[in-house]
Amino acid sequence: MTAVATTAAFAPRARATQDAQARVTLFREPSTQNEGIKVIHPQVDAGTSLGPDFHFAVGYEVDIVSGATPAVFGVRPGSVDAVTQATHFSDTRHQVTGTLAYTRPTSSWSFGYSYGFESDYRSQAITGGATTDFLDHNFTLGLSYTHNFDRVCDANNENVGDQLLELKALGNSSHCFTSQPDVSTQKLSIDTFQPSLSWTATPKTLLQIGSTIQVLDGFQSNPYRSVGLGTQNAQPQEHLPIYRQRYAVYARGVYALPAVRASGLMMARYYQDSWAVQAVTGEVQLNKYFGNQLLLTLRGRGHFQTGASFYRTATQYSELGPGGKYWTGDRELSPMSNYLTGGKLAWIKKPGQDRSSWYVEMEVSAKYELLLYHLESPDAPNADRTHAHIMQGAFSLRF
Amino acid sequence: MILAAALAGGGCSTAKWTVKPHQRELLADRIMQPDGNAQETAADEHILSNREGAIGGSGTSGGGCGCN
Repeated sequence: MTAVATTAAFAPRARATQDAQARVTLFREPSTQNEGIKVIHPQVDAGTSLGPDFHFAVGYEVDIVSGATPAVFGVRPGSVDAVTQATHFSDTRHQVTGTLAYTRPTSSWSFGYSYGFESDYRSQAITGGATTDFLDHNFTLGLSYTHNFDRVCDANNENVGDQLLELKALGNSSHCFTSQPDVSTQKLSIDTFQPSLSWTATPKTLLQIGSTIQVLDGFQSNPYRSVGLGTQNAQPQEHLPIYRQRYAVYARGVYALPAVRASGLMMARYYQDSWAVQAVTGEVQLNKYFGNQLLLTLRGRGHFQTGASFYRTATQYSELGPGGKYWTGDRELSPMSNYLTGGKLAWIKKPGQDRSSWYVEMEVSAKYELLLYHLESPDAPNADRTHAHIMQGAFSLRF
Repeated sequence: MILAAALAGGGCSTAKWTVKPHQRELLADRIMQPDGNAQETAADEHILSNREGAIGGSGTSGGGCGCN
């Protein structure tokens, strides 16, 4: 949605083009206490131009998730730590997407729909976007809006009322989205608005600022997770607020280094939300060509955040009880920092301009990144997982 | 838009704020696109939105997964 108009905007009307991409990402997060988590994420996308101004694309992606996760976040006095009592799980999420885009010389519009489903979660989303160039294509204003109509499977807690300590966790997803009395279906509505402004500042510099505003209204807890509270060791289901507002502002800059056939990118982001989480994130990236067909990308990223206002460590939940009527065992709501580093090597093949070919461009790439976690306390959620490996292979074709 | 109106209304020449088409050869290269490959960016956001407590910064809207 934030395409930058370049000389391509002045190109003569091209013949019909098609494009296809396939990508597989493996996310492996080991644990010192159990089998950890593994996610295999294949993606396939294909698109075609429809006349000179329209482009239609479809996509399909899968999340094949398996591993072990603690059913209870907490410490049980006189017993083994909850971490070692992790529950094995596996699930597969599918998502299909369709997008139609209309492009004019100085503006574009797009509309998309996606449907995702897994055993305990259903999601429908509609997306609309628009971009417009002004001042001789030196500025591009982008706007994007997405609305999610999600449904989450939960245990049947309708009779709990105000007795929040009686909340039951969902045991498994076998009865989800059926009329069985032991389960219920909760709604989650998500609205995401993303404006951005890009500026071609110099012949070698591109700058961009933007924002993400997201409002969530509905069930946001992990239905399978319980939290150990108080010295009596009550273990109610995780209980998060129904309403959440999330805000982020970011700035990015790309600078060309033509003498070494490279470019450098920097990004800075500030985030805060209505659950009192605040975060700053910074990223640097270097892209460099080697020869005519190899492109190396190196990336480094640091993320630092505070915890949610109702977050406590396992020991604090046990000794002090909850901080109000909300409690969580989510690591991403705890004070923590993440560090990402890695690189990608791509082989790019374009037929020579003096040769006719059935394809315009072909690319094969492989990427590896290491994600390091730093938690503030050894009693934080998932403290047994200190890092994750991210491996990715991709193939794309434009013809 | 506000910037453009301010420049025009203030009688300022926009020439020094703009890059001419013949000067954009470097900017057209793929390594100068902040959003990069849309499919790759979506895959990155899919991971980072589940492992960071924050969202945004990539120019794309992420999707939920329920990967708890």
